[in-house]
Amino acid sequence: MMSRTAYLAAPLVMVLLLPVVGLFVSPSAADVVAGANHPLFAPALWLSLRTSVLSLGLIVVMGTPLAWWLANSSSPSARVVELVVNLPIVIPPAVIGVGLLQVFGRRGLLGPWLESVGLSVPFSSAAVVIAQVVVAAPFFVQASANAFRKVDDELMVVARTLGESGPGAFLRVALPIALPGLIAGASIAWARGLGEFGATLLFAGNMTGETQTMPIAIYTALESDVRAAVVMSMLLAAVGVLLLVALRFAPAAWKWTRDLGGPS
Amino acid sequence: MGMTRTYAILLMGALLVFAGCEDPRGSGEQTSRLTVYAASSLTDAFREIESGFEAAHPDVEVATNFAGSQVLRLQLKQGASADIFASANLQHMTALVDSGIIVSSEMFARNELAVVVPEDNPARIKSFQDLPRADSLVIGTDDVPVGRYTRQMFEHARAQLGDEFVQMVRDRVVSKESNVRLVRAKVAMGEADAAIVYRTDAVSSDRVKTVDVPSSINVSARYPIGLITATEQPELARTFVDYVRSARGAEVLQRHGFLSEAP
Repeated sequence: MMSRTAYLAAPLVMVLLLPVVGLFVSPSAADVVAGANHPLFAPALWLSLRTSVLSLGLIVVMGTPLAWWLANSSSPSARVVELVVNLPIVIPPAVIGVGLLQVFGRRGLLGPWLESVGLSVPFSSAAVVIAQVVVAAPFFVQASANAFRKVDDELMVVARTLGESGPGAFLRVALPIALPGLIAGASIAWARGLGEFGATLLFAGNMTGETQTMPIAIYTALESDVRAAVVMSMLLAAVGVLLLVALRFAPAAWKWTRDLGGPS
Repeated sequence: MGMTRTYAILLMGALLVFAGCEDPRGSGEQTSRLTVYAASSLTDAFREIESGFEAAHPDVEVATNFAGSQVLRLQLKQGASADIFASANLQHMTALVDSGIIVSSEMFARNELAVVVPEDNPARIKSFQDLPRADSLVIGTDDVPVGRYTRQMFEHARAQLGDEFVQMVRDRVVSKESNVRLVRAKVAMGEADAAIVYRTDAVSSDRVKTVDVPSSINVSARYPIGLITATEQPELARTFVDYVRSARGAEVLQRHGFLSEAP
């Protein structure tokens, strides 16, 4: 029975695994060096790091209070907002890109107003960040809301009776309990932002150093120098693998270091 | 046990559905299928040539794939099955001929570059010399033929209008797109003040206005067409190439703004 199940599952596991294996097996060391020295590589890496970290910062700063509210409010409006927050997960990124153009584009809903105050969003690094925030935020908000839901209400009440203020109880009680969930959500959101392609390409365009993030540089390099595309793909795949491993073992490591530190 | 069998049946069913998507080329006795890979700028002209050819050969179905020539070159290099390749420059064609993927090529049309601006022309660009007035200019990537021709044109402009002019124009570039239709789309949507495309792309859209490039600065884009070595129907493919290069083919190309290859 078990072996037969494995027989059926194996093709799926292989097709999930092989693309990652193929990336690391096929290129030679010389290819990797040539790829890393490609003129698209360094600007794309730097831009991707800057924009994805900024996006994550914005997501965490605005998403944490939102997640806390979603976890604690039982109002119908909270449920509606929760649905809206999850919309970008089910809408294709290319569609989000078109939607963002219809909002921030010159002829979009906010375009004329933005233009009147001297702002032009499309084809700028700001557009890259907006696209990343839209596609990545749902992953952080949902994970954080779930983590906050696991915080026992009574603990918060006890903290308040022991003299903690509202924000104090949040910071000293709820946040530490929910933190692993928040970190996991932030990691997934960062990975999603770093990998953003469709919405960025449509909304932000393709300009080295300005809007050409790693995924878009991969797409561009594929048309001229496959080696550069492979090296950038390897780097993004490695980041993803590391992130996944870290998330898998972080809770255990966390517990272990705390136990080592003794009762504090 | 029952579950496993259900899964197995579902899996086989799915595989059958996918197998059904397999290229039907060669499976039908009556109709043969000809696959043509053509540069984006040929989209409208080749669609018309396609229907003309199909009308003249009712037993042939022509399938077209339009993209930047460099993308088509990559696909052909990766083993895409096609019969004919029409490129917007010689560079990509030569590379494929050199690697044996294409038998040989011959020129069939010429084109030029033009500046397009949105209908309302927000940057008020009336001539090529006004190009630095654009806040946002979109051109082709360095690999797509239209992008290479654009760089070539900038070199001509450098000789006539100076380094400073070209630098100002280059500074206005906000995005580089991988095929000429994507370049034009940015202006058609009104998101860019100007774009550099082929003259044929400029005249074939009613959503953009054309600004001519002086002939002393413009470049001549030459389009080669070639047979793919691995084609299973070389005679039919040859017939199609001859049709493109015939008087009827030339008439369609000229109607879409292309210049005839024989000067």
